[in-house]
Amino acid sequence: MVFLSSFLLVIPWLGYQYILEMEQVLRRGQEQIVLGTAQALATALNERPELFDEGSYSPARRSEDLYVYPIFSALALDDGSLTDWNEYQQYEVTFGDKDQLRTQLNPSRYYSRDETLSFRNMVGEHDGSLYAYFKVSDDEIVYRSRDSLSVHRSDFLEITMLSKEGNEIKRYVIAPYEPEFLYPFQVADGYSNPIHEDRISGQWYESNEGYEIELQIPMDMLGDRLGFAIFDVDDESNRYVKTAVATYRVADADRLGSLRLPTPEIDRIVAGMGHNNSRIQVLDRNGRVLQSVGDIQSATGLLLSSASGETPINKYWLYMQNKILNPLYYQFLTKPSNNFIDELYSDVTREGAHINAALEGEATTQFRTLAYTDTRLLEAAHPILANGEIMGAVVVDQNMNGLRTFRNEAMEMLFNTMLAVMLIVTLGLFFSASRISSRIRSLRNQAEGIIGETGRIQNTIVATRNSDEIGDLSRSFSTIVERLTQYTDYLENMSSRLSHELRTPVIVVRSSLENLGLTAPNHESAVYIERAEEGIRRLNLILTNMSEATRLEQMLQTSEKEKIELSKVLPGCVEGYKLAYPETRFELDISPQPIFIDGVPEYIAQLLDKLIANAVEFSYEDQSIIVFSRALRDHAIIKVSNAGPYLPEEMQDRLFESMISMRPQEKQDQPHLGMGLHIARLITEFHGGQIRAENRQDREGVVITVVVPLFYR
Amino acid sequence: MSRRIAIVEDEAAIRENYADVLRKQGYEVQTFANRKDAMSAFDIRLPSLAIIDIGLENEIDGGFNLCQTLRSLSDTLPIIFLTARDNDFDTVSGLRMGADDYLTKDISLPHLTARIAALFRRLDVIDQPPLPESLLHRGKLSLDISRLTIQWDGQPVALTVTEFWMVHALAKFPGHVKSRQVLMQESKIFVDGSTITSHVKRIRKKFILIDEDFDCIETVYGMGYRWNIMLETVT
Repeated sequence: MVFLSSFLLVIPWLGYQYILEMEQVLRRGQEQIVLGTAQALATALNERPELFDEGSYSPARRSEDLYVYPIFSALALDDGSLTDWNEYQQYEVTFGDKDQLRTQLNPSRYYSRDETLSFRNMVGEHDGSLYAYFKVSDDEIVYRSRDSLSVHRSDFLEITMLSKEGNEIKRYVIAPYEPEFLYPFQVADGYSNPIHEDRISGQWYESNEGYEIELQIPMDMLGDRLGFAIFDVDDESNRYVKTAVATYRVADADRLGSLRLPTPEIDRIVAGMGHNNSRIQVLDRNGRVLQSVGDIQSATGLLLSSASGETPINKYWLYMQNKILNPLYYQFLTKPSNNFIDELYSDVTREGAHINAALEGEATTQFRTLAYTDTRLLEAAHPILANGEIMGAVVVDQNMNGLRTFRNEAMEMLFNTMLAVMLIVTLGLFFSASRISSRIRSLRNQAEGIIGETGRIQNTIVATRNSDEIGDLSRSFSTIVERLTQYTDYLENMSSRLSHELRTPVIVVRSSLENLGLTAPNHESAVYIERAEEGIRRLNLILTNMSEATRLEQMLQTSEKEKIELSKVLPGCVEGYKLAYPETRFELDISPQPIFIDGVPEYIAQLLDKLIANAVEFSYEDQSIIVFSRALRDHAIIKVSNAGPYLPEEMQDRLFESMISMRPQEKQDQPHLGMGLHIARLITEFHGGQIRAENRQDREGVVITVVVPLFYR
Repeated sequence: MSRRIAIVEDEAAIRENYADVLRKQGYEVQTFANRKDAMSAFDIRLPSLAIIDIGLENEIDGGFNLCQTLRSLSDTLPIIFLTARDNDFDTVSGLRMGADDYLTKDISLPHLTARIAALFRRLDVIDQPPLPESLLHRGKLSLDISRLTIQWDGQPVALTVTEFWMVHALAKFPGHVKSRQVLMQESKIFVDGSTITSHVKRIRKKFILIDEDFDCIETVYGMGYRWNIMLETVT
């Protein structure tokens, strides 16, 4: 039963497997969709190399190029620190002694080589302005003297650019008196004729290594090319420029670095794809992010209809669902949160096997699990081709939370259904099992009740009408009992019927003999008649004995028990036996306390008659017969012991059966049918007791013990 | 006037044996094999005494029906059941039907004739004054041996002949225990001990019907019964 029931557990397992399979399919689907999105976008961008060149006029990448990273938050210029640049700082570019520039201010480059000067630069774009910072490492900071009109005789920053209009070179110098807000000048050749330029703003402040500059330039000032140079003056007395480090090599229009800006065309194309629950990024061939749309937290991929708008559910059920079931389920279901941080992600560059593969021309997808969270990301990358050349890649990311949520909802539904089904099945099994067992129990009780204490069939089984196996069993039991009853009746009545049938011919013979005796008083024939009559008399005795047990049973059924004092009945009986068997001695050993039993005194006397007759018959001569009686706990014990031959071992159990006699052949002067002890047993069982015969331990002899319950009411 | 005895018995050999014995005794005997024949004859003329077997050919209880019919025809007609059925139940039924005696076929022929003679004698003396020597007085009990009747405290007790002999045997020597064997011999029947027990019970009931305090027949367990005069003297 348990084994079979355990198969029920397979069903939720199958459901679970089905959901996992479903999730797998959905995940593949999502993968395909994401890859398709990437492919569609890549197709839109294919064969349009100009899109990738829009921000640059340079035919090839050069080290002078300045990369303008999109910055998505406003930056404060007056905070005196670079902390608000935070993670963008990792994209800063270091310029050192290899980038030293020879200008008219420091004509001999090898004359005074200063390895102490270097700076780190980062350029970004936010809200129509170019932002830049410089972390300058300088051992000696020399500020512009208060009374100096020239702007090139101290440490200063020079910004060189092609102007937006006219494409002419413009140069701006920032040379502060002290750490302060920037006060830039536009200068002509030879740093002459400085004119204040207020569109450039920012701050200069000192740091541990030297000084730091943060500045902002409006994009509409800028042409296509831009360069920065830091000039270093170490000697405050002569104030000659000792070293200059720049982002460019030669200070002419052609050699300035180009600005690489996010491209509006790509913007538009990507924006058109941008409403599909994904984060889409376009990368150039170096893995730098050109465009990014959407955020990964909300990029669940699946558009899930929320259940909250549906019909209000029973609040008890809701309570149960939330407080009991869900905590249980989420012991083994993971519920990812949308509050995760993609550490690898930045708006600047992207890395990853899928991107590498895409930049080598292969569209791939991959799954990535974020550390410390259960969130999994699906990332697809597709190459963008132009003229057979890989221009970049489209990366589409989605998180798997939507799918996971979907799966969890399905799981919850499955578990709820399973719980309900299991509950119903369990209750159903319980009810049917208890019904079956109660029916079996009642059948058993009936079956036990068939045979009464006396070993006779008392009741029958009521056959049920149920059509199942138990009903069938009950019907066959009923049939069996019926047949058994008939057969038992037949057997029980056999001896009395037999004696009845035999009696008539016996009477015929007997009456005829008597008639003969009366009519023919011949002396010779009288002897034979007398012998014949003696034979008939014994035959008649046999017949009487044969029906005695049946008669007794019939009478027992109609007798009513009463409270009798065993300790008075027994002595009376024994007195009678002393008269009846004058040659035999009787010893009485009866409890001085009265012993009361529930019984019929005549039958008890009859029982004792049989026991004594038996004992006398098997007693050796001159040996006494002991009648013993005691109350022991809730039973009365009667023992009749004689000194005589032991019982044959195999006869002890069968002694009390009908028609069992073990008398030696030579004692058969009286007819014996072995009914005596059988009648003793019938009477004992009528009184609810037991009878047994054993060999005596103390001497050769037999003791017959009768145990009957004491009177109680 | 010769006595006419009707024997209703389906077993021909037994019937003729009994008939022969009774004819030798000087009785006129009619024999019938079944109830129908017997009834048609009885409709014409009633016998002086009827000996009836219970089982008659096809009718298991035909004798009982016959007894009932006869008793309705005559209140005084002596009826004897003579049957092989020796169980208590049939005995009680038979006597309740109004039979004067219930004998099993184990009874010897001399005993049977004695019983018949006794019944006739009771019939004969019913109108005559009782002879003093045939009367036995034991306190409230008085037995008329010649009429086979018993009176308790002046009231007649309806006992069968068997029961009469039992009471007679007990009351003849009050205080003496009479074993079942002795009672059987005295009442000239041959049944087993338990039938004696039920006879005694029935006798007690009949006395108690007249006197609720009757307690003269005492059971001596294992030995038999005795007529108790101790209680009687107290009352």
